[in-house]
Amino acid sequence: MHPAFAGLVTIVIGVGGCLAYFWLSNQFLDKVLFPARGPNAGRNINRANQIRPWLFLFPALFALSLYLAYPVIETIRLSLTERVTQSDGSTIYQFVGLANYAQMADDPKFWEAMFNNMMWLIVVPALSTAFGLLAAQLTDRIKWGNIAKSLIFMPMAISFVGAAVIWKLIYDARPPDASQIGVVNAIYVGLTGNDPVQLLTVPFWNNFFLMIVLVWIQTGFAMVILSAALRGIPEETIEAAIVDGANPFQIFFKIKMPQIMGTIVVVWTTITLVVLKVFDIVFAMTNGQWGTQVLANYMYNQLFVTRDWGVGSASAMIIMLLVTPILIWNVRNARAEMRG
Amino acid sequence: MANTSTNPSAAVGRTKASSLSAAVPRIILYTVLVLFCIYYLLPLYVMVVNSLKPLEEITAGGMMALPNEWTIAPWGSAWSTAQIGVDATGLRPYFVNSLVMVIPAVALSTILGALNGYVLTKWAFRGSTLLFGLLLFGCFIPFQMVLIPMARILGLTGLAGSVPGLVFVHLVYGIGFSTLYFRNYYAAFPTELVRAAQIDGAGFFTIFWRILLPSSGPIAVVCIIWQFTNIWNDFLFGASFSDFDSQPMTVALNNLVQSSTGVKEYNVHFAGAIMAALPTLLVYIVAGRYFVRGLMAGSVKG
Repeated sequence: MHPAFAGLVTIVIGVGGCLAYFWLSNQFLDKVLFPARGPNAGRNINRANQIRPWLFLFPALFALSLYLAYPVIETIRLSLTERVTQSDGSTIYQFVGLANYAQMADDPKFWEAMFNNMMWLIVVPALSTAFGLLAAQLTDRIKWGNIAKSLIFMPMAISFVGAAVIWKLIYDARPPDASQIGVVNAIYVGLTGNDPVQLLTVPFWNNFFLMIVLVWIQTGFAMVILSAALRGIPEETIEAAIVDGANPFQIFFKIKMPQIMGTIVVVWTTITLVVLKVFDIVFAMTNGQWGTQVLANYMYNQLFVTRDWGVGSASAMIIMLLVTPILIWNVRNARAEMRG
Repeated sequence: MANTSTNPSAAVGRTKASSLSAAVPRIILYTVLVLFCIYYLLPLYVMVVNSLKPLEEITAGGMMALPNEWTIAPWGSAWSTAQIGVDATGLRPYFVNSLVMVIPAVALSTILGALNGYVLTKWAFRGSTLLFGLLLFGCFIPFQMVLIPMARILGLTGLAGSVPGLVFVHLVYGIGFSTLYFRNYYAAFPTELVRAAQIDGAGFFTIFWRILLPSSGPIAVVCIIWQFTNIWNDFLFGASFSDFDSQPMTVALNNLVQSSTGVKEYNVHFAGAIMAALPTLLVYIVAGRYFVRGLMAGSVKG
């Protein structure tokens, strides 16, 4: 079947199925189950109205159980089991307690991933937020500020893989006798006359070369949100500070910053969530080689290269544990905001 | 710049224009701006310029220069003849895959999100806030958690390695966000209107269709753009759940860059990277305002 045709069929079946579900179930409820006529019409309408929300939320509930409840339970379970091939050739999942976690704790690659993830967690949100704030402040009242903003924001629209491909070529190094393609090496060789460096294989520092890519993407996000927050600051507070003779730095750090602290925290935590799940960039640029492993890529490797579902699930659990506090905080925040 | 009194840096700059200390912030300002330009624009510039050059021009060291000879051959090659994995198919079939994946997933998640938002706000029932909290939670759960269980579900339903399978995964994941958007939007919609329509005898669907939907334009655009960008740019699900024939654009792009043996065709890689980013870039350029609004609704409120 031609893929475009298959796609069309998917659309028709999916959209049609959804609409049919909503319409038919609604009809069923109103016409068959609790018809709004006869002696109990009033009660029937009330009953139907009580059931209706659940009817229409069913797809969402179904999705929710699929992507939230089942995966969490299943991943916990798998992280405590080991695949065993029996004598008759069939495989079963045997309960092994915390053996997968113990195995993971013995794996130096896991600790490398943990350590790198911690570095990512500190560096990327900090730099993205700082650069975003700086860009928001600097472009705020410049004539071409909006153009600059759109350009800084542009990387947000590019996929992580796309960005990784671009930056890989920017870090590219060719043999010393050939002219350099990668911008960084071209400048480096041009300035120092040294041999080009394979940047992505430089131990320790290569992690930062990868982080730069994510910062490049996330700055636009931080900038847009913080720029809106900066504009929301009451002018009087700034005018008062000017009258009192504050210099631009004092105005920025002592007047503006404290007033947008809430937004800064939100931006920071949102980027933190992105960082904890970062996978595409590392996978596409180094695949965790040369000491650049991170948890998400470690997990992917366990799953698809080593094919060890137990350890893979165990590492997924670690990611989940790291994300959960921020998640809960985020959800509580969001709900408090909605109530207020 | 009529109202400079509200601009702190300009005001301070003018009062101390003669002193040396005023020059220092200016210098810092411009240095920072230039560095920012290099950091954020150079990669984009390099990408565009080099996708329009013959390979010899790049390897001869003319990386930063504008092309001597403008050519769209790399684009043609990336689109239809470049080596992806084992086949020399170019990115075209994968572009189609991505489209076939994105359109139903976006359409369905938006429709379901709108209905969910409507039910959660206008037909509030016991447990609806808890349910919404869970949905929110689901928006941000790490995708790594679902890889194995989802692989199982896809295997059981026979959708593994197919485009409909990817549609399904993205749909399931998209509902959380689209519900979040519509719920917040409908929460501000006057409930009296809904009640009035109810008294006039309008049913569940009529109210949705006639009263809420006509005013949902802006949020629908936000939701569609957000879902489109996310699903188009996704890599993890594509890499995990697709066969060679059903892989989306992002995965194919990675294969294009990784699989080239022998001569690295930089210009083709750049062209491919732009191609993969083009739909989302276009959406951003055409409807950037909505893009940003979705971003803010999705992050600040979630």
